[in-house]
Amino acid sequence: MSRLYDTVEPAVIDEEMLQKAVEEQGPKDEAGRIAKQEGIDFADVLALRLDFKNILKIDNLWRFTSLTKLQMDNNIIEKIEGMDALVNLVWLDLSFNNIEVIEGLDKLTKIRDLTLYNNKISSIENMDALVDLHVLSVGNNELDQLENLIYLRRFKQLKTLNLNGNPFCDDPNFKHYVIAYLPSLQFLDYRLIDENTRAAANEQYTYPIQQLEHNEEQARKRIEDQEAKETEFNLHKGAYVENLNGSALFDSMFADDTEGPKLALLPGVDELLTGYKEKYTAICQQIFEYGLKEHQRRGDEVSGFQTAVDEAKEDNRNMGMRKINDFNEYRRKLFTELAQSSDQAHIDTSLEQHNKEIDKLWDGLMALEMQLVDQLEDTIKEFERNMADMVSTFVENVQALISQCRDLENTHNEKLLEVAIVTLEKMVKNELDDELPDDVRMLFVDKDTITNAVGASHDLHLLKIDNKEDDIITRANNWLAALMERVHNEEEVKRNRHRVSEINNFIDHLREEVETFEIQAA
Amino acid sequence: MDENAENNGDQANNKAEETEENEGELSVDDLRAELEKIDIEVPEVEISEVHIQQEDAYAEFPMSYKENTNKEKLILAYAENFRRQYVHLYRDRKPLLLNPVNECGIEKFVSTTIRPTLLPFQELYGYDNCAEFVADYLEFQALDPPVDLPNQLVSPTTALKRQKGNSFDFATLLCSMLLGAGYDAYCVSGYATREICLMDQTRDICPLMKKKGELKSEEKKKEVRKYQVKPPKDLRSKFDLKMQARREAEEEAKAAERRKEEEARISELEKPKPDALHGLRIHCWVLVLSGKREVPDSFFIEPLTGNTYPTEDDKFLGIESVWNHQNYWVNMQDCSNGCKDLSFDLGDSAKWEYLLHSSEKPSLEIPDVEAELYEGLDDDEEEQEDERHLEMPPSWVHPILVTPKEYETRCPLGKKTILYKKARLEKFARYLLKDGMITKLSVYDDYELRNLLSVKEWFVNRQDKLELRVHNHRTGLITEYMQQGRLDCMKEHTYKSGSPGPETDRTMVFYDKARVDGLVKREETPTEMMEHFKDRDDFLYYRHVVFSKRMKKFGASTDANHRPILKITERFHRNKEKIAGEDVSECVFHISEDRIQLTFHCEDKRVTASTREFIKPPNANDKSQTITMTPDMTSTFQVDTTKKSPKNLYIYNMLVSLVEAEDQSVQAIRASEEEIKECLLERIREETVSELSISVYDTERNEKAKQHRKELERQQLEEKLRRQEQELDYLAPFLAQMGDPEKIARQQAFKLKEDCLADLKQRLIDKANLIQSRFEKETQELQKRQQWYQQNQVSMTKEDEEEYLAYCSEAMFRIHILELRLNRHKEMAPHKYMALEQKIRTDGRLSDYF
Repeated sequence: MSRLYDTVEPAVIDEEMLQKAVEEQGPKDEAGRIAKQEGIDFADVLALRLDFKNILKIDNLWRFTSLTKLQMDNNIIEKIEGMDALVNLVWLDLSFNNIEVIEGLDKLTKIRDLTLYNNKISSIENMDALVDLHVLSVGNNELDQLENLIYLRRFKQLKTLNLNGNPFCDDPNFKHYVIAYLPSLQFLDYRLIDENTRAAANEQYTYPIQQLEHNEEQARKRIEDQEAKETEFNLHKGAYVENLNGSALFDSMFADDTEGPKLALLPGVDELLTGYKEKYTAICQQIFEYGLKEHQRRGDEVSGFQTAVDEAKEDNRNMGMRKINDFNEYRRKLFTELAQSSDQAHIDTSLEQHNKEIDKLWDGLMALEMQLVDQLEDTIKEFERNMADMVSTFVENVQALISQCRDLENTHNEKLLEVAIVTLEKMVKNELDDELPDDVRMLFVDKDTITNAVGASHDLHLLKIDNKEDDIITRANNWLAALMERVHNEEEVKRNRHRVSEINNFIDHLREEVETFEIQAA
Repeated sequence: MDENAENNGDQANNKAEETEENEGELSVDDLRAELEKIDIEVPEVEISEVHIQQEDAYAEFPMSYKENTNKEKLILAYAENFRRQYVHLYRDRKPLLLNPVNECGIEKFVSTTIRPTLLPFQELYGYDNCAEFVADYLEFQALDPPVDLPNQLVSPTTALKRQKGNSFDFATLLCSMLLGAGYDAYCVSGYATREICLMDQTRDICPLMKKKGELKSEEKKKEVRKYQVKPPKDLRSKFDLKMQARREAEEEAKAAERRKEEEARISELEKPKPDALHGLRIHCWVLVLSGKREVPDSFFIEPLTGNTYPTEDDKFLGIESVWNHQNYWVNMQDCSNGCKDLSFDLGDSAKWEYLLHSSEKPSLEIPDVEAELYEGLDDDEEEQEDERHLEMPPSWVHPILVTPKEYETRCPLGKKTILYKKARLEKFARYLLKDGMITKLSVYDDYELRNLLSVKEWFVNRQDKLELRVHNHRTGLITEYMQQGRLDCMKEHTYKSGSPGPETDRTMVFYDKARVDGLVKREETPTEMMEHFKDRDDFLYYRHVVFSKRMKKFGASTDANHRPILKITERFHRNKEKIAGEDVSECVFHISEDRIQLTFHCEDKRVTASTREFIKPPNANDKSQTITMTPDMTSTFQVDTTKKSPKNLYIYNMLVSLVEAEDQSVQAIRASEEEIKECLLERIREETVSELSISVYDTERNEKAKQHRKELERQQLEEKLRRQEQELDYLAPFLAQMGDPEKIARQQAFKLKEDCLADLKQRLIDKANLIQSRFEKETQELQKRQQWYQQNQVSMTKEDEEEYLAYCSEAMFRIHILELRLNRHKEMAPHKYMALEQKIRTDGRLSDYF
């Protein structure tokens, strides 16, 4: 049922149209008057109706950021677009338009009710972002693939679905298919699905659905595993020891090493390498475990600090609030008393007293704040010292462990060199038993070449180890610096300024009120 | 008695001498009296002296009450022997209670008087309820004289029937019940204080007044965290603090001293008067040993009051002997220090001298009564060597029976009054009083019970769910506690006894879970009303209303004359869905000043809260007009200065909703007032009606159930009668013909059989004939009608024809039925004949001949 758009001039969503719609649909009566007087901010509008406007293109809606309900039915829209700013949208009506493809909904994660009735849609797709979808209406469209409905299985909240008037509705299995494949559904084509139908449908599609569920289950598991792995890796990364619980570092030493594999072919080197790898990996594992432990300790330390600080702040806040409440009580009494009094002298003395009380309150609040600042300063200092100790110990221990790695590499290198020399001598004497590939043979041209090759391999290995060490140390130190920066900034400076300005604001307000009272009294 | 026992005896002698000396110090007269008593060789028990009460007709007692079996005679003789040896060995000890006479004047051994019985009431499975039941059920009669053992010990059944008894009767009944419930219980014969012996509780605190063990909430010490902030510096003078502490300590000490003096004075006042017979008063109570039924420690139960005491209690001054249904033990330990140091290891023969050797482990051997008797009398040692032990005979007492009605009535006549220290406790049976009261505790200020302090009344089965009413006579406050299930969900209601009407001081507490509005508590004073709420959707938790004096209205006005409201204060919990600065925490409607004050919630990290004040537009309460607003009608204080002030539209909407909210609050308050009035009216009505509810399981009182049961019983009876009628003897008429002979001779039997069969045959034939004749008659009639029809067919009207046809079909039907009956009769007759023959053959009276 598409309207021909050569008969009427297509309209454009412009400022004028929006303004008019907002005003028409906005508050009425006195409220409307006030609203008109100060103007309506598009960002405050919650519901907007733009129907029967002959709109061709969705546009200019980016200012309606808090919109929850948008009706654009009975237009000639061809493409869903320009709605990325409407993130709070819950209710979207695009029925009776000329839309062919579902798209452009990726930012609308809060949508519960989506109506695309009477369009030209031939496939349900691109709706993964609508996780909270409850109601979907895609009747009178061009859907013809029943299998396409399996896409809707991802919407666990989907309760109501309207599919009437699509080509696939003529399929005799249509109803049972929908009911069986979408178990969360309660209403189909606005009719309650009764238990008998559901049972019949389930029976009809028992096997394919079991299969489907099995697949979904597996997919879900895969994703979960992936996520678990990722979180674990992130944890390791947070502890700066990622990839150390295995031979990854060892392997990486040999990954970029061009000479290494060649040298590995020398007789005896194979065993040498295996032993070397074993020891090396054991040390890596040590670093890894130590790193995790330290990470845990650091975390405990930080959370302990944070709770202590929060507690102190909360106590302080409660004390402050008590002071203010007491003062408010006093003030309330005073003002009720003054309102009934007509003795000017009495009023004056009372106000004088009141002003003094205000000063006292200010003193009290400020004293509390200063006390808290002192307390926090001490605690933060202690915390900083402890953290610095902790990180430096960590760094030292890691360094010690890594130097063990380096020693291993050195020993390995010496042994390798020995083997190389022996091999060279043998080769010179032509006593070599087994055949070596040509490129390896090339290394044994003379002693310098072979020494250089072994040396190059060794240097590369040492470089890798150094890099890893640097990496761990830098990251740990950076973390500490960032942490302390945040703590100082937030707990000391920002909080203090905030509180002081708050107190002053409050006191100013109190003084102002007294002044107005005085004026009134006068 | 073996040598071992003699040795023990020597030790015990020494101990007894010590005891004697101690007692000698106390009073020479006592000693003399006691020594004189001990000199009596055989305490004669004269049956003629035993007073058999007239009310218990002697004939009504079962035989076992009136005579002794051989086994019982044996044990009596054995006990007598034991007693003789005991008296011989321990001349200075008091006689034992071994063989008192029962209510029929027959000597019975005390252990056989105990009849372990478990009564069919769930509550009586625990020792405390058992003890309470016994204490309630029996009326106490003091021993006379208080220093002598009773010479009669009635059975528990008789004690229950008479509903009175002395401490020995109490203890025997209680011990029977406890043993039945599986406790390791013993009767204890010994000495106790005057207060215990005479059931004088006026020096005890009423158990209902004792405060429940106050739960000491152990304050968890805050663990000092590593980063705990340091407390602010204490700038006070240390010297001043020290001086103050010293002063406080001094005052504390003074106060403590004063308290101590006061306590001493009170305890002096409460101390019982000196008792001339202290330590001589005989008493009997119950000992429950640890072990069975998960009893962790041994304890005493005082059967007269039902209270339990630890075995170290100083009210119990000494133990002579203990016994249960299996054995009898004499205490060989020194009781000069009361029961404090006694060991209750009954297996330790140095401390407890047993009567029967090993009743703990009953031997499998069946003792030969004759030989046992012979040996038991002549030579005890030989008996021991033979390892054939005397067994305790079974109890001669019939099972203890308590009907549900008796159980419910409890105390004699269903009423009991106990006097405690400064308190009087009255107990009533259920349904005895019209208002359902079961317990009433009056607390007094003085020992003479004259100055009433407060009255507590407990109720059950009340239709208005009233459970407890406390009337404090000092403050004049009455507090009523209700159970759940009332329509108005009331839980507690406190009011002044002088002014029960509405708009006075009162507090009502509700079951908030059951109420739609979540009301927890409503307090009222003449000019104020406070309501506390819980778990409401609108986060309201407190509402406070101030009323002014009611205006006088003239003329008849239709609407109720409410008190004008001056001020409403409503407080709200934090609604996490809103921003703190927009979430109202307190809302005050100054109705008389047309002002509305709002205080918002404090943001998490701030100490000040935003406020806003509205002045209500003049026409706000007129629904027909729209509310107009001008900017000067509102003033505000905003905590966050960086935030821009809200739009006028927002403020206007707020005002509109506030005006509405005020209206709703006023309505809610009026509804509350109405509810109070209704509640009070309802309470008055309930109090005057005071109907008691009857459980559907209460077969006695539930009239409907009772009727139903009676109907069922009647039906059963009828059914039984009918069956009896059916089972009339088929041979009776024939036997009568023969003159009902005692024994049927062969000849007679054959004749009987023939007669009987002939009779049946005749009857069968008669019946067949009858049917046949009817069949024929019916057929003839039909034929006649048919002929008549054929003759008159032409001249017949349609109606006649129809009548004829109807008749025909009916007749045919009758004929058919008769035919069927005849056929069946023919078929059945031989069977019936055979059946009768068979019956005669198998008949018990004739079976000799066939």
